[in-house]
Amino acid sequence: MEFDDLKTIWKSTGQFQPKDDIALAAMLKGTSQSIISKLKRSAWFELIFTLIAGIGLLVYALTLPAGALKWISISLLVLLVAYSFYYIKKLVLLNRFDAAHENLRSNLEQLVEKFSSYLRFYKRSYAILYPLYFFLGLIFTALERGATEFFDVIMRPRTIGFLVLFATVFFFFSTWLTNWYLKKLYGNHVEKLKLVLKDLSE
Amino acid sequence: MAIEEEKKFINLINGNQGLIHKVCIMYANDPEARNDLFQEIVLQLWRSFPSFRGEAKITTWMYRIALNTAISGFRKKTRNVQTEDLQEVHFNIRDHCGDDREEDINKLQSAIRQLTEVERAMIMMALEEVPYDEIAETIGITQNNVRVRMNRIREKLRKLMG
Repeated sequence: MEFDDLKTIWKSTGQFQPKDDIALAAMLKGTSQSIISKLKRSAWFELIFTLIAGIGLLVYALTLPAGALKWISISLLVLLVAYSFYYIKKLVLLNRFDAAHENLRSNLEQLVEKFSSYLRFYKRSYAILYPLYFFLGLIFTALERGATEFFDVIMRPRTIGFLVLFATVFFFFSTWLTNWYLKKLYGNHVEKLKLVLKDLSE
Repeated sequence: MAIEEEKKFINLINGNQGLIHKVCIMYANDPEARNDLFQEIVLQLWRSFPSFRGEAKITTWMYRIALNTAISGFRKKTRNVQTEDLQEVHFNIRDHCGDDREEDINKLQSAIRQLTEVERAMIMMALEEVPYDEIAETIGITQNNVRVRMNRIREKLRKLMG
């Protein structure tokens, strides 16, 4: 079959139910389901959550007397401020993204790059945060029990063994959970984009 | 002013609805998914409309956004796609064409669905008689590359259609 025959066949496939003006106008007020819009919504949610948590923590820290707990709260606040800057930067970058000005290849390249760095950031930040949470947990226990009793207990071989085991299980399980969650959210989409890009480059 | 802009945009879409419908048929398997994709493409076009200065042809601009949305920007809802879904996409031709033509359309459609997403975009534009330089601009490859790929795609289609 020649290509002109295919064009003739293709032309007769043009029957469709046109949308009327009212339906089109309603579509303009809808919520986008694009991956970039979803990322923006997620970044806004994270930023707002971080700010609220930060304000709550600040109010709590101000009521505390000087001591270890106050310093832990302040160190967490510094972390939240750093996260807020990251989310703002992410939103600025996402707002600059415009599929209308890019051809398919550049659009794919940009998306793959953005998603990969997003996933990398999450994995790295959690790799740092999990041990940090673990040690904060230990410090809170020490504060609750008193330093002398805490060191007595923690120096016992049985406690050390339990802590090592707990840290290992906690680390592997939380890493696995993060990887699974991120892959479910964005990972499969990134793989699909990479495949399309590979197809374009061949 | 905003209402005028909206009217202008809707007129533009009305004049080119076929283009969006065909992209949806190419990339979505069932009516619900096609409707979602249609809405998303219209929304993306609307968002980009203020920055459209008419430097590119209107159809090039529309193809670029529609294909970017369909291929890379839109995550389809996870659904079990039944084989009936593919059969269902008859483009409403039953009432319009004879049995032979319907069979040809089904063959073409089924062959196109076996192509990769990039190949589908290219063959669709070629069948719509979009010039090679516009296809190259929309996809982001050279005109030479378009020519080579188009030959391969035609050959693939010929084999798939028997």
